[in-house]
Amino acid sequence: MKKSDNIPDKNPFKVPKNYFEEVNSKIISATTGAETVIRKVSIFNRFRTSILVAASIAGFILISYTAIKLLTPAGVNSRVSETLKEISLDSYINDIDLSALEENASSLILSEEVPDVSKKDIIDYLLNENVDLNDIYAQL
Amino acid sequence: MKLSSIRPDDNISELLKTDLNKGFRLLIETYSQKLYWHIRRLVILHEDADDALQNTFINAWKSIGNFRSESSVYTWLYTIATNEALALIKKRKRNATMSIDDLTNYFASSREGSTWFDGDEAQMKLQNAILKLPEKQRIVFNMKYFDEMTYEDMSKVLKTSEGALKASYHHAVKKIEKIIIND
Repeated sequence: MKKSDNIPDKNPFKVPKNYFEEVNSKIISATTGAETVIRKVSIFNRFRTSILVAASIAGFILISYTAIKLLTPAGVNSRVSETLKEISLDSYINDIDLSALEENASSLILSEEVPDVSKKDIIDYLLNENVDLNDIYAQL
Repeated sequence: MKLSSIRPDDNISELLKTDLNKGFRLLIETYSQKLYWHIRRLVILHEDADDALQNTFINAWKSIGNFRSESSVYTWLYTIATNEALALIKKRKRNATMSIDDLTNYFASSREGSTWFDGDEAQMKLQNAILKLPEKQRIVFNMKYFDEMTYEDMSKVLKTSEGALKASYHHAVKKIEKIIIND
């Protein structure tokens, strides 16, 4: 696409003198100039952290399970969990104000107020929200 | 000179296989300037562009083992550079007390100031207009307008379809023209 007549062409940015020679040397020193040491690592050492974490979690679960089993009398657990279920369901239902919900829902359904937004504004908004370009233009 | 028309990729790819150090040095010498300007147009300040450029090559060196020779060295590096620039912009947004929406104010408040900006009023208007674009659209505009990349290469770097890129670029040009004319 040819360049726009309204958009200036010149590069306005400057760099310090000899910048590119110096930065190239710096990068070469930090990369190819640096010594790299390759050593063989055993599978255990490579995954040591993950193995230790997994072992800790397994150990914790085993200890917790054993403690619960030993300390809890038979039959209590199932009664407790049923009661907890009932309590949580009742309190959830009590917290909802159904009439308020219905009032708000009907105003949303019946409202005819639609903001006047151009396609361009929608595209800009979606881009600012980091929506994928492919998705935006697929919908247009 | 168009960036897309410079294709020493084949030589560099071959050299990377036979002599990694020599190949990587050639890669640095070939692409450091182009990548610097691409980054600079996104991050604006020289100091930030310098950091991002060095990080780009250091990350490229660390992941050289992942580079598949059938893809282009040029687009591979460009992807890393774009990601570095975006990471730096995000970090700057988290730390900054003011946004970069207005270059004049930004230069006035930054350490570097406008030392490394040589533009006239028209250039300042253009850069401010570009800064008003959403981030992704700004990248598309810079890559097409200043770097003159092909849509094919841009598609590989940005992982976006050519159609979406063309539409985004067209939209960006119209927006910038409107801002400049109305300013």
